[in-house]
Amino acid sequence: MDCDKILDLFQSELVVVNVGPKLFATALEKQGYRTVQVDWKPVAGGDREMQKILEVLGGLE
Amino acid sequence: MEVFVKIERGRYVDSLETLLASSVLNDQPGIEIGCAGMATDPGKDVLESVGLLTEELKTCDGSCYIIAARAESQAAFDAAVDEVEANLAPEDSGDENETGERSCPTIRAAVAACPKANLCSVAVPGEYALGEVKKALNAGLHCVVFSNNVPLSDEREMKELAWEKGLLCMGPDCGVANINGAALVLASINNRGPFGICGASGVGIQHVAAILHEAGTGISQTIGTGGNDLKNEVGGIMMLMGIDALEADPETKYIALIARRIGDLVEPAILERISRCKKPVVAMFMSCDRAAVEKTGAVWARDLDDCAQKCLAMVGKTYELETDEELAAKAAEAVSLLAPEQKYVRGAFSGGTFMDEAMRALIPKVGDVLSNCPLKEEWRLADSHKSVGNACIDYGEEEFTLGRPHPAIDPGVRKPAILWEAGDPETAVILLDFILTPPGHMDPVGYVLDDIRRAQELARDAGRHIVFVASVLGTDADFQNVSAQRKKLADAGVLVCRTNHQAALLSGEIVRQKKERDMHGLR
Repeated sequence: MDCDKILDLFQSELVVVNVGPKLFATALEKQGYRTVQVDWKPVAGGDREMQKILEVLGGLE
Repeated sequence: MEVFVKIERGRYVDSLETLLASSVLNDQPGIEIGCAGMATDPGKDVLESVGLLTEELKTCDGSCYIIAARAESQAAFDAAVDEVEANLAPEDSGDENETGERSCPTIRAAVAACPKANLCSVAVPGEYALGEVKKALNAGLHCVVFSNNVPLSDEREMKELAWEKGLLCMGPDCGVANINGAALVLASINNRGPFGICGASGVGIQHVAAILHEAGTGISQTIGTGGNDLKNEVGGIMMLMGIDALEADPETKYIALIARRIGDLVEPAILERISRCKKPVVAMFMSCDRAAVEKTGAVWARDLDDCAQKCLAMVGKTYELETDEELAAKAAEAVSLLAPEQKYVRGAFSGGTFMDEAMRALIPKVGDVLSNCPLKEEWRLADSHKSVGNACIDYGEEEFTLGRPHPAIDPGVRKPAILWEAGDPETAVILLDFILTPPGHMDPVGYVLDDIRRAQELARDAGRHIVFVASVLGTDADFQNVSAQRKKLADAGVLVCRTNHQAALLSGEIVRQKKERDMHGLR
């Protein structure tokens, strides 16, 4: 396998996008790493039917 | 007692926050049982199982945040809700975080706002993990995925996409990874060094890395694959990528591989890849026979302690563990303090890997070990809240964590176990594990010290002495500091071992010697 992108990661400053509980981002910040928080919540308030409709319409991000 | 509820429509609180909120709620005076969370169908199932699903709550949907409790009065409930709100992280206002980044509505927006971002940590409910991981991979981010309950077909799909793009996809169900010195998810903070670790067991990686750290060396990177990676349905994609990456990484001089069970269709591919590896490999594969591992040219390791020792041998170091004779002498001293009726070991664990390891170490010394997750089905406890004979209980299992965070984050889940077990006159030894991690409790040992002291007082009043045996997994670079945590235990009279395996051996030896004494009518 081509490992270039993984080796790039290993040799770069780690910057983490955190999708989910902020507890994990805070723990990384306390270690001195940069994070960007994504305010994730289920699309359409978790309504499955509405999610399917949005997916068909291309409305999921 | 009456059920009181608070409903907030349109407010989203993430799963971990709701679990922590439930923990706070249940600790409040005047609350018999409480639950906080989103009113999704699984959330309502939890409410129903604890008798809190009122008619009003039945009409709520997944867009409602609810707090419900059986409380002695409206005033007690209101006070408890105030306490929960005070403990909840503030809702994000779009303000900058400690390192100056703003929060973003989507992964794409986060990458646009911060083009240097290179890794995405995903911890969303399992059903949503695939969607978020695909967005992250398509945005060029490596991923570490803590989400569990992800269907194996979803896991395969995200890992195939990662492979195609040459990006890491650590997990789903990845609890431990260390990248560029950062402890991700529930890992410990470790020194950097020449060892790259790739493994399907989070605690296994953390344990080996901690010993390397304590012995004065360290890790280059650790890649957690998630526990399901080596199943036939997933194909070991991330283990194979991990070996490729660590072999190519110039900072990695030696590779350690850790797995409990490998699917029969996956094992040949993994062994074949190891046989082509240009760097020295130590492999701890519990399900794989020694000859098959050694045939690849790798060094075979029996268990996690052995894996760490064999890594250390490669750099001319060793990690001092107590010998069987030393453990036997320590056990003899402990046995002399026990009352005649005390004869069993009771393990209370915060996770499955260490409990499995402990049970395997105990069985040759004490015989059958009953459990809520037993090694043999006939050893299953009838009631997980009542130990019988020699028994170990995993408090990370759903029956204890339903509606609460995992004990690694919330030690309150396991806390009652100490007094339960100490209350049984037949308990001789209480065996405990403690695991340190940056998002975890800042003083997990301090949190239970009062219970240990109280248990000892109760036993003393009844003419008994409980032997507490414990181990702490972590490093002196962890915020909680492993040495400080061990010292607190030792100061409270707990027998502290350097590894979980040794703690189990010591506990087993105490019970074995006690039985021998009883058989010979000795006191």
